[in-house]
Amino acid sequence: MRSAAHTLTAQSSWFNEKVLLGLTPKTYVRSLLTPGNLVAGLILAIGIPVIVYRFVYGLGAATNLTQETPWGIWIGFDMLCGVALAAGGFTLASTVYIFGLKDYHAIVRPAILTAFLGYLFAVLGLLCDLGRPWNLPIPMIYSFGTTSVMFEVGWCVMLYTTVLFLEFSPAALEWLGIGEKLRQMLVKATIGLTVAAVLLSTLHQSSLGALFLLAPTKIHPLWYSPFIPVYFYISAIAAGLSMVIVESALSHRAFQERVDHHVDMAPLTVGLARAASVVLFSYCFLKLQGIADGGHWALLLTPMGYWYLFEVLGFAAVPSLLFAHGARTRNVRLVRWTAAWTVLGVIVNRLNVSVVAMNWDLVPHYVPSWMEVMTSITLVTMGVLIFRWIVNRMPILRELPQYRNAH
Amino acid sequence: MIPHDILTLYTAKAVEYIFALSFLFLFIPFWKYAMGEAHPALQPAMQPARQKIADRVPDLVEWFRLARDVAYHPGHAWARAAGDGRVTVGLDDFAQKLVGPMKAIELPPVGTRLAAGEPAWRLRVDGKAVDMISPVDGVVTEVNPAVLASTDVARHDPYGEGWLLKLDAPRFEANRRGLLTGKLARTWLEEATNALRLRMAPDLGLALQDGGMPVDGIAHALDEEHWDEVAREFLLS
Amino acid sequence: MKLSRRTFFKVSGAAGAMTLASAPKASASPVRVPGAEMKAVLVDTTKCVGCRACEAACAEANGLAEPAMAGDERVFAARRATDQRTFTVVNRFEDASGSEARFVKRQCMHCVEPACASACLARALDKTPGGPVVYHPDRCLGCRYCMVACPFDVPKYEYEKAAPFVRKCTFCAERQATGLEPACTTVCPSGALTFGTRGALLEEAKRRLYAADAKYVPHIYGETEAGGTSWMYISDRPLANLGFKDNVPHVAYSSLAQPALAAVPFILTLFPPLLMGLYTFSQRRAGTEAESEEAPHA
Repeated sequence: MRSAAHTLTAQSSWFNEKVLLGLTPKTYVRSLLTPGNLVAGLILAIGIPVIVYRFVYGLGAATNLTQETPWGIWIGFDMLCGVALAAGGFTLASTVYIFGLKDYHAIVRPAILTAFLGYLFAVLGLLCDLGRPWNLPIPMIYSFGTTSVMFEVGWCVMLYTTVLFLEFSPAALEWLGIGEKLRQMLVKATIGLTVAAVLLSTLHQSSLGALFLLAPTKIHPLWYSPFIPVYFYISAIAAGLSMVIVESALSHRAFQERVDHHVDMAPLTVGLARAASVVLFSYCFLKLQGIADGGHWALLLTPMGYWYLFEVLGFAAVPSLLFAHGARTRNVRLVRWTAAWTVLGVIVNRLNVSVVAMNWDLVPHYVPSWMEVMTSITLVTMGVLIFRWIVNRMPILRELPQYRNAH
Repeated sequence: MIPHDILTLYTAKAVEYIFALSFLFLFIPFWKYAMGEAHPALQPAMQPARQKIADRVPDLVEWFRLARDVAYHPGHAWARAAGDGRVTVGLDDFAQKLVGPMKAIELPPVGTRLAAGEPAWRLRVDGKAVDMISPVDGVVTEVNPAVLASTDVARHDPYGEGWLLKLDAPRFEANRRGLLTGKLARTWLEEATNALRLRMAPDLGLALQDGGMPVDGIAHALDEEHWDEVAREFLLS
Repeated sequence: MKLSRRTFFKVSGAAGAMTLASAPKASASPVRVPGAEMKAVLVDTTKCVGCRACEAACAEANGLAEPAMAGDERVFAARRATDQRTFTVVNRFEDASGSEARFVKRQCMHCVEPACASACLARALDKTPGGPVVYHPDRCLGCRYCMVACPFDVPKYEYEKAAPFVRKCTFCAERQATGLEPACTTVCPSGALTFGTRGALLEEAKRRLYAADAKYVPHIYGETEAGGTSWMYISDRPLANLGFKDNVPHVAYSSLAQPALAAVPFILTLFPPLLMGLYTFSQRRAGTEAESEEAPHA
């Protein structure tokens, strides 16, 4: 090959190679000037000062929370949805490592990364919501409110975030090319970590629902049920599967160059759709049982009842059928749109229980302030940016050749 | 939570049992539905990932995919034996990224005799065109209709669905000795990437995504006016 | 909850002892009453004249600002609730039929098994054996779960502060520790507030309710609401008309979360063997599949 006469002047320091993707600092910075990044930058430019404002001037100045409505979208969306949509981590990990369906191995790492960032996002949202977040270590270290479901949630989330970090760290070690012994230890511990992950997830996905058991007089009877923990757990599984479908679809579009092209996403997507279909089918019947147990048939004919029916039928029954149909006809596009709709449905459900059906008859009802909304958008944006940063550098969507058969 | 009184409890329990039994009845047909196929005969066989396709795995060398089961010509075309004297050829990932989105790939018709080292097909972009060198001697027996319809498939899957030609190549074994595989191919691609990188002087306003991935059409980014000369330098044509 | 069991044994022990000691006595042995020995207050709304001396005394004892519109009758025009600076309020309730208005003092109910304390993950809200539900500000994270849990919407939050606390009536726990009565019950001129032990006050309340010329509605609000509260109310008007919620469950709130919490140790114990069993099973299956795959190629 004819090569132009050149002298090797390209800097290739570790930092440039690993962090700047092999570019010089100036080129790298210039590469960041895309429209998407400008939007993200704008969001951060508004959102971060809003968050600072909240901490300087207090919750009253930044939120629309009241004495009757102490919980708003930072709990309802950031915390509850962040955790529910991160359920892909334990569902995919158990699929691959416990049920032994190795075909899904290619999407375990992105699922775990999504879960890890989802929990980080949930915890950051919680820190914004807590009145005295610096006291967070207290129930962890010396004052244990063991009668409280919140106590169990806190511990489980803390432990599970740690497990997720451990599950994610081999990818980081592979990227850095260091700590091979540690990496091998972590890979050996995969099955143990997965068991812990399923265990902890079962506990706190359901416990986040159990929190609302203490509000029987405040939540609309159609959403209040002694079975809320079971509903949250089962819908979290469906949410996790749907989120993995959505995330893999988006990643394979956005990160085409990073993807292992020998992995055919179609059969994996279809397989996940079949599982989600059965889970949602069962979920609908569980909801039915809940209504029977509460005897609230008459309430279905009220405005709130119509909204409840729309939530269950529209966001659970219909997706169940669409997933099954899409899987049967190998219609990957239909499956992906159904998954996105299901993700939306889980968000609607969590917001319903925590914000809409909570104090449903209170006038005026709580509406989030623009600063609350901005904070949530900012945290999501930060999560997406971190996701992209990691995927562009670390072996998440593809394997590094030297580790190909090492896990 | 208002506890049931005993009378409504009977009704509630009856309803619950009916629901539970209905669920059990409906579950098996639903399972069959969700796990079934709409048109079983027409479904392509799905390959389990465990199957031995390790050789088909494109590695990533810096920015470019490198397939392991093909032999490369230094001009960035590849060849793969398809069995019974037939050979599939195409362009590699480096070539398609170098040239960028193509208006068309002009492929020689069936029956054309190609010679290794001679121009084989033409990549057309915005009025200018560059040739690529054939990696093998042979006669064209098949032309990929998908590529003629749209060059996108050659860009997204240059080693798979984006193949360009199938040839009758009785001298393939001999041709092979002049082609690069394995470690040699890897080193060659690394050097090509280095050469590219050195040309991307820091003060060049390349609009790179934060993916470190050069935009499609590296040649254009290097020299808008004379991109075809840059391309020909690498494609040896 | 530990507390009620302890109390139960105390009460049943006492009951047992009494029955043994004095069989022929005419007075009935006390029925098991939750929190019978805890300090409590009986509020007789027929006696309250709306003087709001209790509000003033509370503010003084807790270092709060003076009650709004002190001495001004117009304060009753709007319904007031407690807030982060007001631990107790007196509201006036007109009667549709035109008879006398009734005045109702509201504050923390100091439940026997408080929802807030069972909800608090850091035990910042804690039930003391003596009766008062106290707040330890140093432990509070500000999660506001206590506010969600309380059926009476008692805990209030200092949203305006950058380092906020939960605020509510303390039942003058510090005064009670030195043997004094709460500030409000001390100053009440009309005898509407009676301070005593819960068991004794319940008996007193029933005595009033079922007296010969009684005009009371036969319901003691707080006897079983939320599993029983220390501040109990009787009135000659239906209590729902006096601002009291009638949908409060008659079980202790801690029992609502009990099933969910009880499942935790079972899940912790059963899931690992279950999951490892599935793992082993799937490994075996994969093993036999691989064998049958390799066999033809051998």
